[in-house]
Amino acid sequence: MNAAYEEADAFRRYICIVCGWIYDEALGDPDSGLPPGTRFDDIPDDWSCPLCGVCKADFEPYLPVAPDAVPATPTQIPGRSSGTIWDAVIVGAGSAGWSVAERLRALAPSASIVMVSACDADRYAKPLLSVALSRRLDLGDIRSAGGEEAALELDVRLLSRTVVSGIEPSGRRVRTTSGTLRYRSLVLAYGARPIPCPELPDSLVWRINTLRSWQGLRARIGARSRHIVVVGAGLIGCELAEDAVLSGHDVTLLCRDDVPLRGMLPAEAGAVVAERLRATGIRLVTDCRVTGVRGAGDGVEIEMQAAGDAACLPADIVIAATGLRTDLRLARVAGIETDCAIAVDPATMRTSAPDIYALGDCVSLNGVPCRYIAPLAGQADVIAHQILGHAHAGYRHRSPKIRLKSRTAGFALSGQPHPDMPWEPVDQVPGRLVMQQRRGDTVIARLEV
Amino acid sequence: MSASTSVSPVLPTDVDLLARVEDIARGPLARCAVAIDRQGYYPLDIMRQLGAAGALAPHLESRGRDFGLALRAMAAVSRQCGCTGFLMWCHMVCGLYLERAPDPALNTVLLERHAGGESFGGTALSNPMKALAGIERMALSASRVEGGFLVSGNLPWVSHIAPGQYCGAMARRDGEAGQEILFLLRLDDDGLLAPCPHFSGMEGSSTWGLRLKRHFVPDRDVIAHPAQPMVTAIKAPFILLQAGMAAGIVQGCIDSMYEADAQLGHVNRFLEDRPDMMRQELDAFLERALLLAGTPDRTETDYLLDVLDVRVWASELALRAAQSGLLHHGARGYLSDAAPQRRMREAQFVAIVTPAIKHLRLEIARLAAEDFPA
Repeated sequence: MNAAYEEADAFRRYICIVCGWIYDEALGDPDSGLPPGTRFDDIPDDWSCPLCGVCKADFEPYLPVAPDAVPATPTQIPGRSSGTIWDAVIVGAGSAGWSVAERLRALAPSASIVMVSACDADRYAKPLLSVALSRRLDLGDIRSAGGEEAALELDVRLLSRTVVSGIEPSGRRVRTTSGTLRYRSLVLAYGARPIPCPELPDSLVWRINTLRSWQGLRARIGARSRHIVVVGAGLIGCELAEDAVLSGHDVTLLCRDDVPLRGMLPAEAGAVVAERLRATGIRLVTDCRVTGVRGAGDGVEIEMQAAGDAACLPADIVIAATGLRTDLRLARVAGIETDCAIAVDPATMRTSAPDIYALGDCVSLNGVPCRYIAPLAGQADVIAHQILGHAHAGYRHRSPKIRLKSRTAGFALSGQPHPDMPWEPVDQVPGRLVMQQRRGDTVIARLEV
Repeated sequence: MSASTSVSPVLPTDVDLLARVEDIARGPLARCAVAIDRQGYYPLDIMRQLGAAGALAPHLESRGRDFGLALRAMAAVSRQCGCTGFLMWCHMVCGLYLERAPDPALNTVLLERHAGGESFGGTALSNPMKALAGIERMALSASRVEGGFLVSGNLPWVSHIAPGQYCGAMARRDGEAGQEILFLLRLDDDGLLAPCPHFSGMEGSSTWGLRLKRHFVPDRDVIAHPAQPMVTAIKAPFILLQAGMAAGIVQGCIDSMYEADAQLGHVNRFLEDRPDMMRQELDAFLERALLLAGTPDRTETDYLLDVLDVRVWASELALRAAQSGLLHHGARGYLSDAAPQRRMREAQFVAIVTPAIKHLRLEIARLAAEDFPA
């Protein structure tokens, strides 16, 4: 028997489009008088679906989806049962989440740890995302390890592409899209998200807050020179604009205030940064507000008010860097206290709920968020000690030194600047401006541009 | 700011209503729970009593629009019989459609009878809800004709319908991509209904197949066209009300655990999910569901995520409570007519009825996904 004949002769299956019952020619439907081997074509027209009663016309050929064509499912944990109680469930697999996993594993080789990540949980240096174009970094340079690989190395179970939908502190359960997990300790390390803004719709505007979004942007830019508009002239906006212009793109930076970095630097220092950014070739538009973005051909058009006048700016690509905020939904579901972020005890990183800790971009310390990498190691260390019941002197938060990762417009800010206190110049020579804030005789912040 | 936990208070009139519902549930309903579950007794007599007591309509605009009270009433009924709780849900959701109909014959005359339990009807929106979520194809299609639509297609199982009753249904318009109509399907013609095979429980839900062949729906019975804005508006209440079913079943399980403990407490203490713990969790669940039920008009993503999440919780809690209830009773709970055994099937139903756990998770994953330009 040749293959073609065999194919033509093979028994087929047909599915009821109403209820999903499957007619298999090999099995027939003996209860309705159709012996095994009855071809679908030979079934009388008055036959009906034995499950729901619809007629033969409501059947169609059944083509099962091949197992490898089924959409990617979240990672399944081998050997996991719903009764397993994990020593630690870590929500979020950015630098904060991985820092806790590492410290826990170092202190407790046998602790059962599971990480839940909405993405692939790859380990990467997030600060590189705003400088990667000009440094000609590709995915391999930014990513230090795939999530699976990193999890294996730390003997941590990973639930990737899994969303946490709810937390129930009294029953110590976390509901996820891969099932519900029971925990002894829970660590929230899910970061912060770009602030949504109806004028800057997600369908048209890029926001570079994850490796995946950076990969998307990188693919969209392709090999050509583009007109890129960056909305927002804070730290990340300035870095992204400079990164793009140094990579040969035509860049416009839209700034809400009279100078960039207004929320962070005094006007004099902002003016120096503005001057340097312009010197790179960036078109800096100040005092402007975007009122809408719409698709136009292959690109976009940005509607805005600049210096009081309405304007329309065409662009190939628009990137928003208009700030981050913590998603507070989960914390509220759990009844955890929040302010602008998840409120934690600054010494223990413990939230208001029993055995739930939080660190990184999703927390606030004394009402203030701190969205930098430097504090993560100390925060992870105290949380690991708390979880394991080991003694620890407590976390002591220090404001990290802030730098603009810029080749041309860099500055360094240290101490704890107060937004309402005046800055005094300490040293001002061409090409260098040093300023400070003082409370009494104490210098509380220092800035060098 | 701390997390808000304020739940709408139970007012004296609510207490009266709930007391009447509990009397019905503990009396006539409890006596026929087995017949409903196993023998397919469709308890319209009980539904009439519940309607007269005001229990089928607290969520309607004309009766004060109290979804929390509707949920509590459904829980009180489901505590004795999950199937009747499900019938209440079908009936209440149909009321949501009727009160949004433009025609006074529906939004006033029929709605009044419906609210009072003098006429009965359910909902055929399981398939459309899944179709709009991209899970399966829309089963009914509608083509425009003079004075209405001709609707064709089949649905495998629709509950709380019978000859002479009605249900809300939805069809996609032929040749009009993305355009659906939501309409009242009057089941005056017996040929529209096809009997279903036996289910493993909840046989009294009066579940039928629907067979529509160019069935004429007059314009006056069209409730929404296009249908999607209305479906968006009622999606949260549609899902949230089911929490009442789950809460009642869980409470019934807890009742039976305490009952078993009176005799078997010395061995039952070795079980997990003991009644005291389940009661604590049920309280937390109810508090959460009632909080969300207090703001049924919200449609923003965070609220929908909260609603989907609490619905997952409802299913998981019901499954665990039923399992534990059965284990607390042992062999006596395993008898086919035993309440713990019946509640296993009721809890399984809560977990598979639309939206099932897997559908909820799919929607949660979709709503939470990072979105960026194509």
